[in-house]
Amino acid sequence: MICTRRHAVWLGGLAVASVASSRIALAQPIATVEMRGSPRGERIWYDPVGLAVSSGTTVRFTNRDPGNSHTATAYHPANYDRRRRIPAAADPWDSDFLLPDEYFEVTLITPGVYDYYCLPHEMAAMVGRIVVGTPSDVGWEGSSHDKSDVSEDTLTALPLVERILSEVTVRRED
Amino acid sequence: MFRKTVVAFGFIVAAAPTAKAHDEQVLANAPAGDPYVKVSDVLPLPEFIPGLGTLFVDPTTLPAGPFLAYDRDGRLSATVYMTPLDDLQNGASFDGLNIGSHTVSSTDIYFNAGHPGVDKPHAHVVLFHDENAKERLAE
Repeated sequence: MICTRRHAVWLGGLAVASVASSRIALAQPIATVEMRGSPRGERIWYDPVGLAVSSGTTVRFTNRDPGNSHTATAYHPANYDRRRRIPAAADPWDSDFLLPDEYFEVTLITPGVYDYYCLPHEMAAMVGRIVVGTPSDVGWEGSSHDKSDVSEDTLTALPLVERILSEVTVRRED
Repeated sequence: MFRKTVVAFGFIVAAAPTAKAHDEQVLANAPAGDPYVKVSDVLPLPEFIPGLGTLFVDPTTLPAGPFLAYDRDGRLSATVYMTPLDDLQNGASFDGLNIGSHTVSSTDIYFNAGHPGVDKPHAHVVLFHDENAKERLAE
């Protein structure tokens, strides 16, 4: 199960749009992933690129790149007919394009490994991985072994699940 | 779940005189007229991009452009070309490209990993039209 919502925040935090309804409880934990880029757009990345959270955590994707737009799009047939790289029991999500300072939230319930990408920047290996729970959780589904739909650069950019579980937060290495 | 927005070039035709590629007077101030469209009107990009300013492009010239870059006061400050690296590597060339102004004070060329409109990794070739243009486009 996944709950999603999208917000546009402009001019110092004025929330002007809330698109989807949400059943997210206030007490649920929130984790943050930021979309970032170098000033001239030579490099773009998710920060962190790897993240471990507990089941029920709401992950907020915020675009902190002032010169570009980004998405957080789960690898799933429902999103541009991509091969699934999230647990089978989980619903896919797609943030749509986020302009600077806009954010999108998704609540992840099903234990397992979730891989996602930035729609306009997958070719530049802007991908991320979220690990929900641990392999001992009921219903856990580990990382996809399917290599038919992603480039070698993409696979290389995804941190190993073991490292994410060990370090909780994995940031991009320059 | 949200409805997916399919981003395509909507050809917004402004009620402005047709702007020839070398018609410097028409292009000197924003908005550039037909066939140019404001990039942020048709693509999910900020209206003012730090380093590039407010961009206008004739969609039929994508991906190379020219993109006309205006400062916050609407003054044409640079002409920008965007050339995908793998297109070049595969033998494509971009010849005879138009230019927003015949006055060029300096040129910057740098890599860009991609953005809506020109998704492939590409080079930005930026022709600045006066000495202070880069500063005005910076932010």
